[in-house]
Amino acid sequence: MKPILVLFLLPLLFSVEAFSQTKVSGRVLDEKNQPLPGVNVFLKNTFDGGSTDKEGNFSFETGESGPQVIAFSMMGFKTQEMAINLSGASLEIPVITLKEEYNELNTVTISAGAMEASDEKKSVILRPLDIVTTPSAVGDIVGAFQTLPGTSTVGNDGRLFVRGGDASEVGIYIDGMRVGNAYGTTAGNVPTRTRFNPNLFKGTFFSTGGYSAEFGQALSSALALNTKDLAKRSQGDLSIMSIGGGYSHTLANEKRSLTASANYFNLAPYQDLIKQEIDFEHAPNGWDLELAAQMKTGENGLMKVMARTESGGMKLWSPLPGTEKRVLVSLKNDYSYAQANWRTSLKKSWTLFTGVSISKNLDELGYDSLQIERKSDLIHFKISAIKDFSDRFSAKFGGEHFIHLYSEELIRQAWIRDFKDKESYLFSEWDYYFSKAFVIRGGIRAGSSQIAEQLWVDPRVSLAYQLPKQGQLSLAAGRFHQLPLDNFRVLNTDLKNSESQHLILNYLLSTDGITFRAEAFYKSYAQLVTFEGSLENPMALKNEGEGFAKGLDFFFRDRQTLKNTDYWVTYSFVDSKRQFNQYQTKVQPSFAPKHNLSVVVKRFIVPLKSQLGASFAYNNGYPFTDPNLDSSEMNSKTKSFQNLSLSWSYLPKPNLIIHLVCTNVLGRDNVFGYTFSPKANTEGIFESIPQGQVAPRFLFLGIFFTLSKDKNANQLNNL
Amino acid sequence: MKKYFLSLVFLFAALAIAKANDPAYENAMKKQLQAMKSIQSAEESQNVSNAFLRIAEAKNEEWLPLYYAAYLQTMAAFRFEVNKDQYFDQAMELTKKAEKISPNNSEIIALQGFIVMGKLAVDPMNRGQEMSPQAMQLFGKAIALDKENPRATTLMAQMQLGTAQFFGQGPEQACGLARVGLELYAKEESKVNESYLLPTWGKNQAQQVLNACK
Repeated sequence: MKPILVLFLLPLLFSVEAFSQTKVSGRVLDEKNQPLPGVNVFLKNTFDGGSTDKEGNFSFETGESGPQVIAFSMMGFKTQEMAINLSGASLEIPVITLKEEYNELNTVTISAGAMEASDEKKSVILRPLDIVTTPSAVGDIVGAFQTLPGTSTVGNDGRLFVRGGDASEVGIYIDGMRVGNAYGTTAGNVPTRTRFNPNLFKGTFFSTGGYSAEFGQALSSALALNTKDLAKRSQGDLSIMSIGGGYSHTLANEKRSLTASANYFNLAPYQDLIKQEIDFEHAPNGWDLELAAQMKTGENGLMKVMARTESGGMKLWSPLPGTEKRVLVSLKNDYSYAQANWRTSLKKSWTLFTGVSISKNLDELGYDSLQIERKSDLIHFKISAIKDFSDRFSAKFGGEHFIHLYSEELIRQAWIRDFKDKESYLFSEWDYYFSKAFVIRGGIRAGSSQIAEQLWVDPRVSLAYQLPKQGQLSLAAGRFHQLPLDNFRVLNTDLKNSESQHLILNYLLSTDGITFRAEAFYKSYAQLVTFEGSLENPMALKNEGEGFAKGLDFFFRDRQTLKNTDYWVTYSFVDSKRQFNQYQTKVQPSFAPKHNLSVVVKRFIVPLKSQLGASFAYNNGYPFTDPNLDSSEMNSKTKSFQNLSLSWSYLPKPNLIIHLVCTNVLGRDNVFGYTFSPKANTEGIFESIPQGQVAPRFLFLGIFFTLSKDKNANQLNNL
Repeated sequence: MKKYFLSLVFLFAALAIAKANDPAYENAMKKQLQAMKSIQSAEESQNVSNAFLRIAEAKNEEWLPLYYAAYLQTMAAFRFEVNKDQYFDQAMELTKKAEKISPNNSEIIALQGFIVMGKLAVDPMNRGQEMSPQAMQLFGKAIALDKENPRATTLMAQMQLGTAQFFGQGPEQACGLARVGLELYAKEESKVNESYLLPTWGKNQAQQVLNACK
């Protein structure tokens, strides 16, 4: 071949490319055989291709020839590829069906018993911001959850009571790690609050039953709080409140962030101004220091460390029924909590989580001349791993170990009793999507306790089905075990687990801005602790109690119909009877009112730069035993509980918020029960004192100021 | 014979390289940048966006096609009746891919801020607290990376104007930024020629902010 021939061939080569165009056409459908518009159809490693139209048809011309790979791709669908051979003027591709990828947005999620507060999820029950803007909560996490279905408000306690269960039946977790003594210690009828500031958390997961095998040691409910990821910027937050103040400083860059804060509160000045029903010798006061740090590790890893220490106390005069005498009750509490956890994704679709947490609680109680010291330590180790076998099938495996110490001491008498338990758990949970509309989750949790000398296994199962038109149905069932309260176990270390079984049926309808949720449940209790004597002095403790709780609850939230207005209404019905503690018969527990109603309304008024909030809570009364009536237990009921609270948040400047709250605006004299004198008086009557509120109303004023380079930052999340 | 054969192979190889090299890429990009100007519906937007994605697929070392695909998804969410959150999320995903190819790119980060701004606008009451600092931070970073980027400055101005209006404050700060933005656009225009593929959008947005300044 001569060089000249090559030159001659050259233009020919180009012309071949220019003229041998092939028209490629075809059709793309989805799994329901509906046309799929917008699919990107192209020849791999070329620029040639086209998109499907409304009918799912595509056609494009290409100058390529011979064997090629044609790809069909669309976000949210699995890309398909096909080998083709290009020759001739046209090529018709057989109909292609693209399969949708399974993801959180297009698959059904299990909603039985579960309520998530998150900005990311589609069904809106509660958003993180709601926790700080619900008037009756006054910034307490648990206070906000008391407006949700399945809970009841016990105003002189403050803790979370779920579906006929007592407050200890709610397990509280931070980033999956158990928190010991999550509530502040309190005395008399002063309600407690969660120790942790809502500002720490980006989202919460609240289950009123049938929850995941990842959690245990809680007969009724799991409340999982998830801390924030990396802070977005450096800033300082100053708060000045009617009851104290604090400062928090955040340093952040792209890899790491650190927040340190200090707070002090003292109700004395407030109580000097506004008369209280309880006679305080020292008003409740306390301080806390907290450190939270986040660090990115590698491509997908995040490590979080949090530590908190606090100290507080109060002294008050407690009246004794039937006498003029009062006793001085004093309380000092020291508490520390620290945890570290690390989450990272590994190769082959594995995700790994490891964590450790320590809770340390010390209460020094004084009752008249009696001095009691109570110590409780909980150390928790946890490791878990998730494997995604496919987008339809995943499994979780984990192990936990707890070291649990408890002691109580009568200081003057030098009497000490204590116990040390080691508990170990293994759990596994499997999720399988039969289709996008049908998921089943099976889990199993096995546990052992050293001093109870017990091994147990809890199976759990739940499923969810997306109804063809609207809404979804979920079902959850399972068995749950919980060791008795520390102050019972220390008297009888042979006490075994109490047991509960749940069955829950849930309907959830969620559209843009509107959420409706209805749930029916049945819960059985067995091996509850019973004893002789009184709650203050229990004797002969046994695992012989039993009972049940059943009921219905409804939730409706609408953020759409009224402009700038968001409201939710909750009604919960609970029918519960159990034989427990000192009760000889099955009774309705004092913490389980039958009818519970809650309404929360928030409205943003733009010209006033203000958000106004109102919340109303009602229940039909708390049962109590009236010895003057007859000899039966829980033979009476208090008048109904009602609380209307109002709040006003004013944002005059982007970095300044003024927040005013008044609880129980109408000043209703709520009563949660009665304390009776142990002996009848000369007329044969047992005299009583009502267990009421600390004060008819609580007024809170806070000014929150944010300092940062970004002048628009504020601390609405801190309220 | 063997010699000629070799030269032929060489020729083919050279042709193949020429084909994979810039002119074809540039032409494909220019064609789509032209098509971008006449988009009138979500469907048309999807077609052009898909075309950019095809270029991205074939030229996986280039960030621009991914950038434009993300920009189109973002604009479609603003302009047309679509599932806004879904479009914004897809756009964000595409910018993340682009960021992997070209880290610390002022244009990509400014676009991410724009996407966050869009998501914020879907539900300002609930997302404002979380997302407005996020958007601000991204614009700040984009400006820090390239002070000449008119989009970073303009979007920051837009964000500030919105906040100032909400709190009943004067628009002075936003206006100052928008003026700077316009100057930067003028500078940019002087650079634009036949083969200019980099982003040029956003001048109208600067003008809109300035309109609020009178």
